[in-house]
Amino acid sequence: MRVLLVEDDELIAHGILAGLRARGLTVDGVATAAQAEVMLSAVHCDVVILDLGLPDEDGMSLLQRLRAGGMALPVLVLTARDAVEDRVAGLRAGADDYLLKPFDLDELVARLHALLRRAAGRSVDVIEHGPLRLCPESGEVTLHGRAVVLSRRELALLAALLHARGRILSADQLKDSLYDFSEEIESNALNVHIHHLRRKLGADIIETVRGVGYRFSMVSA
Amino acid sequence: MSLRLRLLLMIGVSLSLLWGGVAIWTLRDLGAEMRLTLDQRLAMSAQMVAGLMSQNPAAWDGRGGKAGASALSMPPAGKGLACEVRSLRGEVFARTPGVTPEAITTAAPGFAEREIKGERWRTYTYEAHDLRITTADRMAERNTLLRDVMVAAVVPFIVALIGSLMVLWLGVRSGLVPLERLRQALASRAPDALTPIPDSPMPRELQPLVNTLNQLLERMSVTISRERRFTSDAAHELRTPLTAIKTHLQVARITRGKEAEVALDYAEEGAARLQHTLEQLLTLSQVEGPFSWDDGRIARADEVARLAIRDAAPDAPERIVLESDGNPAELVLPQALAVTALRNLLDNALRQSPAKNSVRLELQSSKDAICFRVCDRGPGLSAEELALVTHRFWRRGSGRGSGLGLSIVAAITERFGGSLELAQRPEGGLEAKLTLPRAKQACSN
Repeated sequence: MRVLLVEDDELIAHGILAGLRARGLTVDGVATAAQAEVMLSAVHCDVVILDLGLPDEDGMSLLQRLRAGGMALPVLVLTARDAVEDRVAGLRAGADDYLLKPFDLDELVARLHALLRRAAGRSVDVIEHGPLRLCPESGEVTLHGRAVVLSRRELALLAALLHARGRILSADQLKDSLYDFSEEIESNALNVHIHHLRRKLGADIIETVRGVGYRFSMVSA
Repeated sequence: MSLRLRLLLMIGVSLSLLWGGVAIWTLRDLGAEMRLTLDQRLAMSAQMVAGLMSQNPAAWDGRGGKAGASALSMPPAGKGLACEVRSLRGEVFARTPGVTPEAITTAAPGFAEREIKGERWRTYTYEAHDLRITTADRMAERNTLLRDVMVAAVVPFIVALIGSLMVLWLGVRSGLVPLERLRQALASRAPDALTPIPDSPMPRELQPLVNTLNQLLERMSVTISRERRFTSDAAHELRTPLTAIKTHLQVARITRGKEAEVALDYAEEGAARLQHTLEQLLTLSQVEGPFSWDDGRIARADEVARLAIRDAAPDAPERIVLESDGNPAELVLPQALAVTALRNLLDNALRQSPAKNSVRLELQSSKDAICFRVCDRGPGLSAEELALVTHRFWRRGSGRGSGLGLSIVAAITERFGGSLELAQRPEGGLEAKLTLPRAKQACSN
């Protein structure tokens, strides 16, 4: 899951980035509304964390503008303003969830997963596909009831492919889900992770569509 | 005491006293006048009888007819009146019936009062033409007449008085209706309602009261909304570093090695920021509050400058260049506050200036004030920003300060009669001019 964090306070942004990365999420951080817009138009994100007090524009008006422009991504608003009117205004402006500072990192992660799950139209936090079960939040994967140990990247790759439900994802899209902008990507890194997944879950689990990308194989179901 | 009761008592009592006084006066005059009139009539009756007797003296002087007492015939209703005619020698010629022989005639002419057979009479004796004529009024009759006249005069008077008191009660009650309506309007308001009282038709006398109330409500509403905004801002400012601390501590717990160490460093930085914000908030509330700040220390301008420089740049005091005119002036405010104010200006200047550039602090003393001028070479402030800088929690962009520094300076200058002026320097950067009043004894020295 790739998260975009829009937070102008450096100290808080550092903390959230480090915390979410440690929890296995791919996160990019930006500090202004303008950067957030550039980021959203350039990269595929799954969910946005938005602080309301941005230096160049109020987070609320950014959100309204994005929603008016047709952005459908789930947005979690993060703010230190706890008045009921603020919260109501935030939800009306198009926020999907609201978290008050200071928050618990675990709660933030759980809410992000819940937002993503709802956006994907699931009601439970487990993705099942034939004999394969994935719990995105805890990172537990079982195949035929047996636990399979996956690395952080492999987990992210598997989750991205499962979320796509058989749609073809390009190599760039997959890389967006695995790496944030602060990371160096080696040219064959994606291939390596796909190779590892195939080794652990079965060779035919990921189908290569030549010249287009990859998709989760429906055959294995 | 209610306004209505007070009005009723005041007007009612004075009305009753006034009318009562007039009534007593009138009754006394009336009584005296009545007595005088009755006496005059008594005298006139005697004179009339004397006149009648003198027209036919033969009828009574014994020469032409028989002398002797004869009874005057009187109607029964006239029994309150009596008359007797005698000669000067004492022979009785005529008398009204029922009057005893020793009767009513007195030796001396004129008015007299005496008791005859247990009843009091008022008599008048008149002498003329060798005759002594006495007329008499029974006092009981007189008094009854007098009482009847008094009652006839007093009853309408009392009725009028009671009537006017009732009209007064009604008038006061209806006159106070707008006041009662206003009271009800106020009583039915929600306790936290600060909207003005609706502009309903109202007597001219109440309008100023309502206007004053509305002005008070408006001022209160402004104050409360300002305080509410301040509380909300303060919560925001305290939560932000707290969030950083909490998040980094959690990161430190779930990570290892270098990452955890970095997270702890960040948490510490957050704690420092929280501490700074808290201290600034406390300073602000103390400066704005009713506390006394006098620490007994005389604040000398050069000492204030030295301490502020030490506090603002403990590691690099050379970044602040002090230019003083060397006048050892004393300030009117406590040293701690003067240092706080100057230090906040220096903090801002250092924060806005590139690290290698220095900040200039000039000290100028005039006759009754000291001027601290802090000049930096930072980006300065736009005209809109200059208008906002002393607002609490305002800071440029996502600056690192608490957003309270200049609010504190402004509060200090306001409390001690100084001033703070911020201006863009023509050569770039910002100039902050802090003027603080000099102590009086320093002026006389």
